Amino acid sequence: MLLELNNIFKWVQQGGQRVFLLKDINLEVEEGEFISIMGPSGSGKSTLLNVMGMLDTFDEGEYNFLDEPVHQLREKHRANLYKQYIGFVFQAYHLIDELTVYENLEMPLLYKKISGSERKAMVADMLDRFNIVGKKDLFPAQLSGGQQQLVGVARALISKPKLILADEPTGNLNSKQGEDIMELFKQLNSEGVTIIQVTHSEKNAEYGKRTINLLDGRMI
Amino acid sequence: MIKNYLKIAWRNLFKNRGYTLINISGLAVGVCCFILIALYVKNEFSYDRFHSNSDNIYRVWQYENYGPKEEFVNTTTPISMVNVLKNNYPEIEDGSRVYRFNALVKKSDSEFNEEIRGVDPSFFQIFDFELIEGNTSAPFSSANSIILSESSAKKYFGEEDPIGKSLSVEFDEEIKFFEVAAIAANPPQESSIQFDMLVSLENEALFFSERARESWFNVVVESYLLLKPNQSAAQLEAKFPTIIKQYLGDNYEEGTFFLHLQPMTEIHLDPSLPPGLEPISNPKYAYVMGTIGFLILLLACINFVTLAVGRSFSRATEVGVRKALGAFRKQIVHQFWGEALLITLMAVSLGIFLALLFQETFNSLTGKLLYIDFDLSFWLITLGLVVFIALIAGIYPSIVLSKYNPIEVLRSRMVKGASMGLFGKSLVITQFVASIVMLIGTLMIGRQIDFLVSKDLGYQKDAIVVVPTNMSGEEADAFAELYVAELKKQPEVAEASWSILSFAENGWVNAGFTDKKNTYREFAVNIVNPGFLQTHNIQITEGRDFIIGNASDAQNGVLVNETFVKRFGLENPIGKPYDKFDIKILGVMKDFNFESLNNNIEPLLLTINLDPIFKHTENVELQHTTQPRVSVRLEAQNMTASIATLKNIWEKTNPGQEFEYSFLDEALSAQYQNELRSKSVVNIASILAIFIACMGLFGLATLTVARRKAEIGIRKVMGATITDIVGMISKDFIKLVLIATLFAFPIAWWVMDQWLQGFAYSVGISWWTFVLVGIIVVGIALVTVSFQSIKASMTNPVKSLRTE
Ligand SMILES: Nc1ncnc2c1ncn2[C@@H]1O[C@H](COP(=O)(O)OP(=O)(O)OP(=O)(O)O)[C@@H](O)[C@H]1O
Ligand SMILES: [Mg+2]
Repeated sequence: MLLELNNIFKWVQQGGQRVFLLKDINLEVEEGEFISIMGPSGSGKSTLLNVMGMLDTFDEGEYNFLDEPVHQLREKHRANLYKQYIGFVFQAYHLIDELTVYENLEMPLLYKKISGSERKAMVADMLDRFNIVGKKDLFPAQLSGGQQQLVGVARALISKPKLILADEPTGNLNSKQGEDIMELFKQLNSEGVTIIQVTHSEKNAEYGKRTINLLDGRMI
Repeated sequence: MIKNYLKIAWRNLFKNRGYTLINISGLAVGVCCFILIALYVKNEFSYDRFHSNSDNIYRVWQYENYGPKEEFVNTTTPISMVNVLKNNYPEIEDGSRVYRFNALVKKSDSEFNEEIRGVDPSFFQIFDFELIEGNTSAPFSSANSIILSESSAKKYFGEEDPIGKSLSVEFDEEIKFFEVAAIAANPPQESSIQFDMLVSLENEALFFSERARESWFNVVVESYLLLKPNQSAAQLEAKFPTIIKQYLGDNYEEGTFFLHLQPMTEIHLDPSLPPGLEPISNPKYAYVMGTIGFLILLLACINFVTLAVGRSFSRATEVGVRKALGAFRKQIVHQFWGEALLITLMAVSLGIFLALLFQETFNSLTGKLLYIDFDLSFWLITLGLVVFIALIAGIYPSIVLSKYNPIEVLRSRMVKGASMGLFGKSLVITQFVASIVMLIGTLMIGRQIDFLVSKDLGYQKDAIVVVPTNMSGEEADAFAELYVAELKKQPEVAEASWSILSFAENGWVNAGFTDKKNTYREFAVNIVNPGFLQTHNIQITEGRDFIIGNASDAQNGVLVNETFVKRFGLENPIGKPYDKFDIKILGVMKDFNFESLNNNIEPLLLTINLDPIFKHTENVELQHTTQPRVSVRLEAQNMTASIATLKNIWEKTNPGQEFEYSFLDEALSAQYQNELRSKSVVNIASILAIFIACMGLFGLATLTVARRKAEIGIRKVMGATITDIVGMISKDFIKLVLIATLFAFPIAWWVMDQWLQGFAYSVGISWWTFVLVGIIVVGIALVTVSFQSIKASMTNPVKSLRTE
């Protein structure tokens, strides 16, 4: 089992009242799964994804990732865990504007203290695989949205994560571009990478093997 | 429309209170420094300009050259100079001498030792010193007239009307009565002629012997000449040699004696000529201060610009929207100007207020009495300041921002990505260059002064108390003798002796004579009694010290220093006379710094009896009144108790006089007034400069972090740790500071080298000062930036990414 959420609650204090963002979430994810999360706007999809990605905390419940109790881990240990196993893909791509495609891909490796030659090989590998070798010296502003998201996915994959968390990865793309990304996910999944994506599109959701529906922070 | 701009500007500033506060307070501090320093500089440059004739008044100075090392420049002249010149050259409208002497002034019950000025009756016609009471048209109607300044009138007469009252003045042995003829306003601070009391030099026979009055080598008075309108001083100077030849007669030698005219308005700031009766300033200090004032103002303005530019990125959207909505470029420019102007006005007002608040503090630092005068020139300068600051501060943001292409801005690509441009970087670098130079200056000046104050002078200065007798003549000598004898019996007193000048007086008697080979030579003289060397622990390298009670020592025995022997080429001097002087050299003293460390050690001769020396000197220069001064070395225990003993014995032996004393080490530190003052001013200035620069850095860091919020978030998600983020943000700024040090070090080196050249003895420039300053500045910058970068790196990336 890759991860397990047991009775997760998350809330914020607003005007003296508890507003629940996540209510009693129970979820088990096996390695190799492809899950789509759906729900209306504001239902807590991104929140849930961030909790799973250990970017956000929760207030109650248990979270085990590869049998490690995340809710008991120290910040540093947790950071190491997600650095090693999790890759993120964002709706707004979130590439760094001052860095070239090559440098954007290299960045996560820098934070993992990977040696220069190894980094070079890994980046070249990714560029090759995504067919963007010719674009390696361009800046994000010089790419189309679809190409930027391609780089975003490549960046998420570069450190060979077990799990990819994608928050509306196709939200800013046209349907053709979106389809390409989905095909890519499908292929990655067949290679054994676990994927959890948030989406608003029924069509994209069908790429997943399982769909989770959220409403007001609750799984239905 | 303007009202509209100001209204929008005001709302904008209010909305960004933190930014506005940093801006206004930084600028206000800059303006305050600038105003105070401008006062100082203006004061220094306005000396002697209040006379309506100031452009036609000159002071005579003379240059004598008798070969290498035998050159003399004096701004005081022979006594007869003014009359000689006046009688020979019709170009001269009038002239007056100014002579300074000390005398005991008595008015029935009160008596004070006063510095009196002797001047010619035409004094008030030449100069514009104001007479406010009494005979204001002809104040020196009689030789017995004395004119008091307002403050000395108050000192002697209080509320009484002083006009017509009499004062007695005691010259060496003689007492003369003067009648108060007029009261003059206290001379302005910006005057090279100062006085408390004036008497007419028609009485010159009272002050000078016949021989002194005739001599052309006895320089004791300042000679001021008023030229007729449109007369050229240079042309007049060219005519002087004929007169010199005529009056020097047999003493004349081609190319040795020259007379020159110095414009009165240049007296105060021309250190190439020695001071006359009043101290002068080195314009160095005015320039240093002026530069500091300007730099601090500039630093504050730069802050304004960097902050405005930084913030402008976050305002680019606003500009884009406005433009998209049809605003003209001009309107946007106007709006930024409106904001700059508003901030400037507030900052300048606050700055003036601060300057008023701190002017007393500033005066105590500079030793001046300067007050803000809300006159026309002040308002003009203020207006200039407002325009200057608003221009500098408004120009960049208004031009750059108004140029933004709305489409690009609204797509918000460029804005998010724009890093601190080259312009912004050079501004930060400029600020740090200025701060680093000032900081190095502060440390070096501090070290130099500590060095001067603590340097081994070759004699003991600690635990020594100097007691002036304030008496003259044989009676004074007798008293000094008695007092010293009584003191030596006290257990608190280690040694005691008296001399005509003590180490507390900077500059002893200068004696000049022409030796047998017809070379003019000069040396310093002091009259001491035999315990002098022991009191100050001065060492003898050859021969022996004076022996107490030895009659022949007291008659013609002298001690000379090593420089005397070397400079005058003496060989085996012990027991021999020197040149024409009927003296016997008893011993050679190890060199010691009897003058301040601004001067090198000159030949020195100590004697008990002055007569054999003065018999053959042609020129005697006195910088201090002569009177027996008792130096006492105390056993270093309870100083206050020891002083009480000195006072006690004083009162027993000399009931009439007030007991005065000073600690020698304190008196010596006072010789470095100028240096001490510039030290404290530069100290404060550099702290302010660093503070202002850091405020700018802080603001910039805030803006940078705000701008890079998303990037920081992404990097964190990609696995960056807090250290990574702090390192990344700080690195950029530290790089700038390091570049600044590269520029600042050579500049500071050059500046300090220039400054140290003014000292005969200096610590020299040390590399570790530079290293230390580098570390300090990088440290301060790091702390300043870390505040923001740590905060940024701790924020949850989910938050910063969501707002995107
Ligand atoms: N830190 C917070 N403080 C207060 N409310 C929050 C916070 N974080 C999230 N919320 C609220 O929680 C709810 C869920 O937010 P979330 O971003 O997870 O929704 P979403 O399902 O991803 O919506 P969308 O489809 O629009 O992206 C929203 O109503 C949001 O306003
Ligand atoms: Mg969402």
